[in-house]
Amino acid sequence: MNILDLLSIPILNISSSGWETITIAQRAADALSGNSIELTIFFLILCILITVSMLAGLGMVLIYAERKIAGHFQCRLGPMRVGWHGTLQAFADVLKLLLKEDLVPARADKLLHLGAPFLSILATVLGLAIIPMSPSIQVIDVNIGVVYVTAITGLGVLGALIAGWSSNNKWSLLGAMRAGAQLISYELSATLGILVIVLFAGSLQLSEIIQSQAEGWWIWRAHIVGIIAFFIFLIASTAELNRTPFDLPEGESELTGGFHTEYSGLRFAFFFLSEFVNMFVASALVVTLFFGGWMPFHIGNWEAFNSIMDLIPPAIWFAGKSAFFIFLLMWFRWTFPRMRIDQLMRLEWKILLPIGFANIFLASLVILTKFHF
Amino acid sequence: MAFINLKKTETTTMQFGGFNVEVVEAPRGAPSDTLIGMIGNIQKVFVSLLKGMKVTLSYLVRPSTVVTQQYPENRETLQMFDRFRARLAFKYNEQGEHNCTGCKVCEIACPNASIIIDARKGGITKKVEIDRYTWRWDICTFCNACVMVCPHDALEMTGDFESAVYDRRLLIYNLNTYGGPPAKVLKKMEDPEQKKESMIARDVYSGPIPMTGTAIPGIFALAKNEEIPDDVE
Repeated sequence: MNILDLLSIPILNISSSGWETITIAQRAADALSGNSIELTIFFLILCILITVSMLAGLGMVLIYAERKIAGHFQCRLGPMRVGWHGTLQAFADVLKLLLKEDLVPARADKLLHLGAPFLSILATVLGLAIIPMSPSIQVIDVNIGVVYVTAITGLGVLGALIAGWSSNNKWSLLGAMRAGAQLISYELSATLGILVIVLFAGSLQLSEIIQSQAEGWWIWRAHIVGIIAFFIFLIASTAELNRTPFDLPEGESELTGGFHTEYSGLRFAFFFLSEFVNMFVASALVVTLFFGGWMPFHIGNWEAFNSIMDLIPPAIWFAGKSAFFIFLLMWFRWTFPRMRIDQLMRLEWKILLPIGFANIFLASLVILTKFHF
Repeated sequence: MAFINLKKTETTTMQFGGFNVEVVEAPRGAPSDTLIGMIGNIQKVFVSLLKGMKVTLSYLVRPSTVVTQQYPENRETLQMFDRFRARLAFKYNEQGEHNCTGCKVCEIACPNASIIIDARKGGITKKVEIDRYTWRWDICTFCNACVMVCPHDALEMTGDFESAVYDRRLLIYNLNTYGGPPAKVLKKMEDPEQKKESMIARDVYSGPIPMTGTAIPGIFALAKNEEIPDDVE
């Protein structure tokens, strides 16, 4: 095969006319069955490249965005010195973290202390792999996508728990225990929020959930039930991300950094990176479930408007929508104060969970009576 | 905030340190216990959260609210603020005369003895007047007590904050440019010769330094060298 064949592969042709999802893993399998081993290897490398470059690129962009937005929320400027308006600050920080001494506390569990950040970042990478970014940019499409996502977020907390336990530090352990309690509690509400959409879409597969929103996004079509599910899922995923107002596992002012107190250098960077990329994964899930994923914005019978919206590539739609939700999470972080642990548990078990159960009951009634758009 | 009703505030008068102060109390309500009230609670929570988010967004969208100074870049144009407290200085009038009478109130008020005043009996006025006003920038806490207690309004805190030096002894300052009577006494003197005679020039570093006896270039010990050379600022 020559270089021209490589250029004409469909991944490079971004078109929004056909919304048939072809994942990169699917392409690799097709190439293998077509006896083209070079193309298979190319697509497999592309799989790895997409996840890794997403991880690194998103980390850089989100850290810069967070610092800049946080600055302006608080009447500051944020980074201004390295590069134009501090654009190269993230690179300088990565360089610093790479060169820093990797400290392991005395009497720490060395193996677990070493492994915890990798476990944390592993969960993030696994989450990134199934995010449908456009019909052609999706690494793998699992047919139980929603279950997979909930399982992966549960894996992420294992990193925090192990980090806190192995550090041999009381603050770390407290942070880790909080992380565990918080995640197990809020996983329930997040799942109840997802289940409403699963009921409406009739599928667990993320690409099919997006396809089911071709007529309209679920936040609109599932009206009241969908909006309640969206708010429950948004609150629960903020709590699962350990971001303010639910950042008790870190608790900078009380636990000096929580579960990653005893980490430095590259391993600390791994925790940091996984936290920021998890934010993207959560936003992408919100977008996929409630806001039509990469589907363009359509209004009823406005043919001209709809065809103009169709011209914008689906990848841009997806990026724009998830950028908005990332901004919303940052906005939450720099506005709301941290909750107490009992308030956190009360919010989950006494408020969100009953509302979630009532909501899923209502959603099934809505679906049975076909009382939705 | 959610359950505080700002429309039902009560204003009472309380005594604080001999002053009558108006205190505005906002009654702190409790979340409703009833089933119908729960919907109201949720509404109140969302409204108050949105209020907070509106405040932060208004800062984000208006870059004019940024208070950060880009310091080394805007060093030429930087205007320090009126209440900023850095270097202590004497206030001088147009003739270069200060108001200090050498009464030592500031020395007594200083919490950590960073002010040392040498007063003397004036040769011409035959009254107590300031000889050297030594102020130690290295131990000063900028509490402003000296400025507040001064009965003659002779002192002020200036915005000159760039105090980095390589030797601590360079932070021992002599505040008065001349040792002699204050402006109001000098005003009564009619003979300009007499006036000139009563003002003995002092240098910024002509206080009781160096402390270790080691000479720093440009700094002259009081005991060793009474006369200050002309080429030293």
